[in-house]
Amino acid sequence: MGVNTNINLNQQEPAGGQSLSVIWIVVAGLGMIFGGILIATITPSIFPQQASAEAVQVDNLFRFMLAVGGAIFLLVVGVLVFVIVRFRARPGDLADGPPIHGNTTLEMVWTIIPAIIVLVLTVYSYQVWVSIRTLQPIHNSVAAVGQRFAWAFNYVITPEDLPASVTLDQLEEPIRAAVTSEAGMNFSSAQLHTWMGQQMQVSLRTEDVNHAFWIPAMRIKQDLLAGRETSISFTPIEAGTYRIICAELCGSGHGNMAGTVGFNDDLQGAWLIVHPDEVTYLREFYEPEAAKVLFPPEDPALRGRQILVGAAYPCATCHVLDDLGWVGNIGPNLNNIGVRAATRVSGLTADQYLRNSIRHPGDYLVPGYSNLMPQFNAVAGEANYMPDTDLDAIVAYLLTQQQ
Amino acid sequence: MATISRPLPGAAIPAAKQLRLSDYLRWSVDHKIIGVQYMATAFFFFLFGGALAMMIRWELLTPTLDVMSDGTAYNQLFTMHASIMIFMWIIPMMAGFGNYLVPLMLGAKDMAFPWLNALAFWLIVPAGALMILGYFAGQAEAGWTAYPPLSTIYSLGDGQTFWAFALHLLGISSILGAINFIVTIKNMRPEGMGYFQMPLFCWAILATSIIIVLATPFLAGALTLLILDRVAGTAFFDPSRGGDVLVWQNVFWFYSHPAVYIMVLPGFGILSEVLSVHARKPVFGYRALALSSMAIALLGFTVWAHHMFTSMTPELRIPFMVTSMIIAVPTGIKIFSWLGTLWGGKIHFTPAMLFALGFLSMFVIGGISGVMLAAVPFDIHVHDTYFVVSHLHFVLFGGSVFAIYAGMYHWWPKVTGRMLNANLGKLHFALTYVGFFFTFFPQHIVGMLGMPRRVAVYAPEFQTLNIIISVAAFLLGISTFVLLYAMALSLSNGKRAGANPWRALTLEWATTSPPPTHNFHGDPVPYRDPYGYGTESAFRYLEDVDRRYGVGERDDDKVPVPALRGSGD
Repeated sequence: MGVNTNINLNQQEPAGGQSLSVIWIVVAGLGMIFGGILIATITPSIFPQQASAEAVQVDNLFRFMLAVGGAIFLLVVGVLVFVIVRFRARPGDLADGPPIHGNTTLEMVWTIIPAIIVLVLTVYSYQVWVSIRTLQPIHNSVAAVGQRFAWAFNYVITPEDLPASVTLDQLEEPIRAAVTSEAGMNFSSAQLHTWMGQQMQVSLRTEDVNHAFWIPAMRIKQDLLAGRETSISFTPIEAGTYRIICAELCGSGHGNMAGTVGFNDDLQGAWLIVHPDEVTYLREFYEPEAAKVLFPPEDPALRGRQILVGAAYPCATCHVLDDLGWVGNIGPNLNNIGVRAATRVSGLTADQYLRNSIRHPGDYLVPGYSNLMPQFNAVAGEANYMPDTDLDAIVAYLLTQQQ
Repeated sequence: MATISRPLPGAAIPAAKQLRLSDYLRWSVDHKIIGVQYMATAFFFFLFGGALAMMIRWELLTPTLDVMSDGTAYNQLFTMHASIMIFMWIIPMMAGFGNYLVPLMLGAKDMAFPWLNALAFWLIVPAGALMILGYFAGQAEAGWTAYPPLSTIYSLGDGQTFWAFALHLLGISSILGAINFIVTIKNMRPEGMGYFQMPLFCWAILATSIIIVLATPFLAGALTLLILDRVAGTAFFDPSRGGDVLVWQNVFWFYSHPAVYIMVLPGFGILSEVLSVHARKPVFGYRALALSSMAIALLGFTVWAHHMFTSMTPELRIPFMVTSMIIAVPTGIKIFSWLGTLWGGKIHFTPAMLFALGFLSMFVIGGISGVMLAAVPFDIHVHDTYFVVSHLHFVLFGGSVFAIYAGMYHWWPKVTGRMLNANLGKLHFALTYVGFFFTFFPQHIVGMLGMPRRVAVYAPEFQTLNIIISVAAFLLGISTFVLLYAMALSLSNGKRAGANPWRALTLEWATTSPPPTHNFHGDPVPYRDPYGYGTESAFRYLEDVDRRYGVGERDDDKVPVPALRGSGD
């Protein structure tokens, strides 16, 4: 037989052979640690912009974990490569390896060291967590509503927050009553506005299924749970615009429930806009928007247009409407709807059809489309509440779409 | 590696059993047939789930929705991809390995409850049918996690209900199989094989089975509440009528986290077997490997809410972070023990060994990303993004599937009596390894940069990475066909394997390939140490096995085994 079948009966290797000397262990250990640090340092930033105080801490934690993980990876793969090269069976060698069953010291070392590593990671993560959770005084609090498939951000006008040039007695009666009521007067916007350098809190409520409110640049995320109100807070440290994304599967439009950029580089949908300071915030956003709501246009069609632009209702996600820059592709096109609505269901005028398609969208489905539109209910407290005054204005506006 | 000896002239070798396709298409209580039935059915669903993945990656080549007809159709793709891969591929495939191997490794004639064993398999058939029928009734679209109210009030088709019933059937199948394994391992070990003398694959199946019997009933509970909410007007998960959506999340994950260990622990067992045999060396740290499987099984019940860091009560996040970090330690022990097994051995680069090495290099990445996910502040950013998709595929594909492939190459000769072509196996490995890595590694990056999971529509700046991922995924898909081809070639014209082509010491190799109906010829006597390589007595034992049960074809002769009987060459 020309094959080598020698068994290694002798458990001892020749002196100075394969046994690891301490020097090699130290070299390998240092190489591993240095390699891990190198990996963590040279990895380019794979985070979005670091735009919040929380982000700084999260990113540092990640770099540390990447260094540790990189070192472990180098250790395991390094050993694998070494083993593949050094201990491969040469052609024709059908002998077995040495009958070594274990080494208690080594096994204790590779139990204790990983335990220490995860302990360190746990403590460091805990510290970051406590630091992020410690609430500073809240200077700006906004209520966010998630509904399939768009975000709406609700701001409150109270007598203390009136724009500079406005006094209570300038307001029409129902509006004045709303402003002076306990809850204040509400207006909504498709975008979330705040200003730099102070903690803001967002309360989160869903109209339908679970969603999740995620701002990658801030490194914060919180689920919206049906039947509950949750909240999240964060401290922006850079002015700018940051995408807001839904991060919990909510249905067919889940991917659409995020900020996008339109043809003219205009922001559509959910974005966080961080103004450099409170003065700019008031001047560029709060006061103009508040004024629109405090002095609404007489013409119901203009009022309806204002409501739709304010994104209190998620229509933009699903419908195309050139006048407002909507490019949604889930529901029917609304261009020229003022004329076409009369042709949809025989016996219904355009006005009646439009009202019904908002209050009872399931009654008639445009051919080719599925029954996905939320039903906007008339009673406060019901899901997807749309008061009759808003409905009248919206329908009035849609009826003007006749091009 | 090839066998190295021939039987003595005049020795009478039992003839290997002939396999017939018809044996596998009907009810049988033979654990070997049931094992193959499980594995073949599971493999079919692997291909089905893989095809769904190819559709997902095709859609994700562009940032807009342009392959699927609407978002709902896309959501159905990943819902079914995950549900099928988890419940109809990995879990049944591991059960198939267990079914085939555990009685043989224990020297038993069959499992403790052969009839129950067959029932457990045949429950999979109506379950699979229900899953597929869902396509004709409005397929489930709420993800494999099926969170209400999306999966209740907002899923109007019946597919979601079919899905829940299918999972009920699969859960029953799983529990029955687990009971069978526990009783078999407890009661049917041979004389001289204490718990600490049985192969590590049996330890892995034991740990897995304990998890299954303890955890699966919770899934059953959650599914029942879901079905009632959907068809009987109950309000378990409807907050407007007093229900609570978090109840589903907690009960579902209380099962589904241990479920991931159900999916990976048998793979760990396969790794121990393959590494030891193909490196010709005892497993390093047998006790640690055995006990760490049990530790993982136990600790796995303490971590579930790490899947809910962004939805759970904020005060409870830290305790679950602590438990999730702890479970990294027994897993690390395993990886180091496997490295210790390889160190100093004689490594043969068979396809089985290649996939085992692939497992070690890829699963460690999954383990590292898992520890990162345990860190609450980081998880808050990457939860429900492609970072999680990357992690889960590193552990489930880079881990479980690579282990399954290693096991297939290792035990195929025993099951079929034929060898799989080694060159095709190496090609399969190369394509799979490269395709796998470039499909899933970039997903860490795209998730951290801001791409959520479960979307067909994404920010345009992620398109380049998504194209790379999709092209690599198509390569990964193609690699499967190499395996299919190798299997077909082997069955039609493969080299005869002989009893013990890998010269392994565990009992399943001490019989012909395939084994006879009653598994062994005479009473099997296990070798005293299932991993006792490197000793004179092991060598003599292996020679004896070759003598008694025959060797396979060698490269330099094409004479089939029976003709060696009595021949004098």
